[in-house]
Amino acid sequence: MFRRILIANRGEIALRIVRTAREMGIECIAVFSEPDARALHTRMAHVAVPLGGRLPADTYLRIDKILDAARRFGAEAVHPGYGFLSENAKFARAVRDAGLVWIGPPPEAIEAMGDKVRSRRAMQKAGVRVVPGSLDSVEDAAAAKKEAAEIGYPIALKAAAGGGGKGIRVVRDAAQIASAFRTASGEAASAFGDGRLYLERFLESPRHVEIQVLFDRHGNGVHLGERECSIQRRHQKLLEECPSVVFDAATRERIGAVALQAARAVGYENAGTVELLHSKDEFFFLEMNTRLQVEHPVTEMVTGRDLVREQIRIAAGEELGFAQADVEWRGHAIEVRLNAEDPANGFLPSTGVVGNLRLPGGPGIRLDLGLYRGMEVGVDYDPLLAKLVAWAETRDLAIARMIRALQELDVGGVRTSAPAALAVLEDPRFRRGEFDTHFLETIDLSARHGGEDETVAAAAVIWRHRLAGRRALGTSPASQSSWLARSRAEGPRP
Amino acid sequence: VKYFVTVNGREHEVLLSERAGTLEVEVDGKPLDLRYEEVDELGQVVVLRDGRSYALSIEGDEARAAVTLAGHFHDVRLEDERERAAHAAERATDRASGDVLGVMPGVVVAILVKKGDAVEAGQPLLILSAMKMQNEIAAPASGTVADLHVVAGQAVAVGARLVTLTDS
Repeated sequence: MFRRILIANRGEIALRIVRTAREMGIECIAVFSEPDARALHTRMAHVAVPLGGRLPADTYLRIDKILDAARRFGAEAVHPGYGFLSENAKFARAVRDAGLVWIGPPPEAIEAMGDKVRSRRAMQKAGVRVVPGSLDSVEDAAAAKKEAAEIGYPIALKAAAGGGGKGIRVVRDAAQIASAFRTASGEAASAFGDGRLYLERFLESPRHVEIQVLFDRHGNGVHLGERECSIQRRHQKLLEECPSVVFDAATRERIGAVALQAARAVGYENAGTVELLHSKDEFFFLEMNTRLQVEHPVTEMVTGRDLVREQIRIAAGEELGFAQADVEWRGHAIEVRLNAEDPANGFLPSTGVVGNLRLPGGPGIRLDLGLYRGMEVGVDYDPLLAKLVAWAETRDLAIARMIRALQELDVGGVRTSAPAALAVLEDPRFRRGEFDTHFLETIDLSARHGGEDETVAAAAVIWRHRLAGRRALGTSPASQSSWLARSRAEGPRP
Repeated sequence: VKYFVTVNGREHEVLLSERAGTLEVEVDGKPLDLRYEEVDELGQVVVLRDGRSYALSIEGDEARAAVTLAGHFHDVRLEDERERAAHAAERATDRASGDVLGVMPGVVVAILVKKGDAVEAGQPLLILSAMKMQNEIAAPASGTVADLHVVAGQAVAVGARLVTLTDS
């Protein structure tokens, strides 16, 4: 087993990896940008190396700086987390060329699945169904318009090199295509360095489900069941659960086999996720994410297996050590992503300093976080602050537990997605399992309030009164400046 | 002292008076039996009202506070009578000008119009990038681009003036 690994990431996922590595007796090297000098992952690692710079392009995306840190501090392996360089085959190769172990799939598998156009081809060849659409990327808006007329509206424009909901636009008629092409392509170019787009039929009332797979180097592969990820805003997941209400044991076995087949087709190794669209009892291949997923904790809670531990063991060359028949699913888990954004205002990013923090706890609650009091939330990084996970024996109990935990939670100083998650969990349709990827759009998040306006109004007024009182006392700027003024009046001493 | 408190868009009148060192509070003319305790100076507050306990978090400043209660977020705007009069005057001038203001912090990726262009309502004016997402900022109404206040590559804050439109 490795003695020391480098974690090429930040935020909650970097800390998540540090935690498991520490439990395995492995030392962790964190890397950090200037704004992350006080971050939790910087503090909790054994060694922290400054990357010098602020923007991702100068820090967490700099292969040379990260490999230099790995060399200088004696890393034996590199874990990329998710996002940043995690699905960058060039980085995976550079890690291997530097004589280090890449904790992830082979670069060839990343390439085969990372290019959405290529992966759709590969899946069709392997006999896995894909959503109707263009197999090749389209040149420009005019070409997209022509292709769209053949596929039929509504269509989705998607980044060929994409993932994570970036570079995606839904177009309902030909008039919108030019503007959608421009923003999606621009977004794709800045996020992935590749502005190519392809088209896909936009399925009505689809559900987004995915299968977790694990492959070791010795040809053993298992799936760990599904995750339901249909609760999304702007094509980015907000709330995930395991199991999905549309899966029974037979479906899990059938779709699990499809996912294993898809992964085998590209020579997969380590942890990966096959994403599928479910529409009218049919499943279509969407994409394969060749990395750890943000929402992996729900699978961990239900299967009782630590996916980061499995990733590290597999990368170290160990055998999986368990078979498909050994995988069991117990109870139900829900994850809520706490993003710095304002649900009442179209989920626009929210920035500020986290001045106040009240974290939930108690039975069945897990919190994977990068959040701390005094943290500055800016616009340079992904808005994910923390992931709240609730486990219970049944779905109903898990929902009740998550609502309870969200009521305990308070993140002050920035707006978070928590109220939106609460609205979803309290909705009777969600409780009945009747929802698709458009569900969140059907809830009016601006109109919600708890019905305690009188108490809130009275408390806010008293709070303001106390605030004014405190400012009038010793700590106010006025008293400080009078002291300064007097010392200045006395003048410099000879 | 009388305050005008807007909670999630609904206005309430709150009367706060100090009598023999005790604060008394009335909301919309109704006296409340309310006990207020601050847990810390960071904004954790306990309110006891008619025997019920409310664990609130309050952050912000004199004009605007974010109040969280049992997971529910409340956008609270606070004004005393003097501030209310001043704000009413400001709002009147704002309406007269056609400034398109930044609704989120971000970086201007591209400007899609130039000075003097006629634009239609809903037409994209510029692209703003924030947290890796690109967003088109559209014209709220038809008009002519009178002025551009930002350039590509510039970082902008919430409420920053981006574009001025005039009626065509």
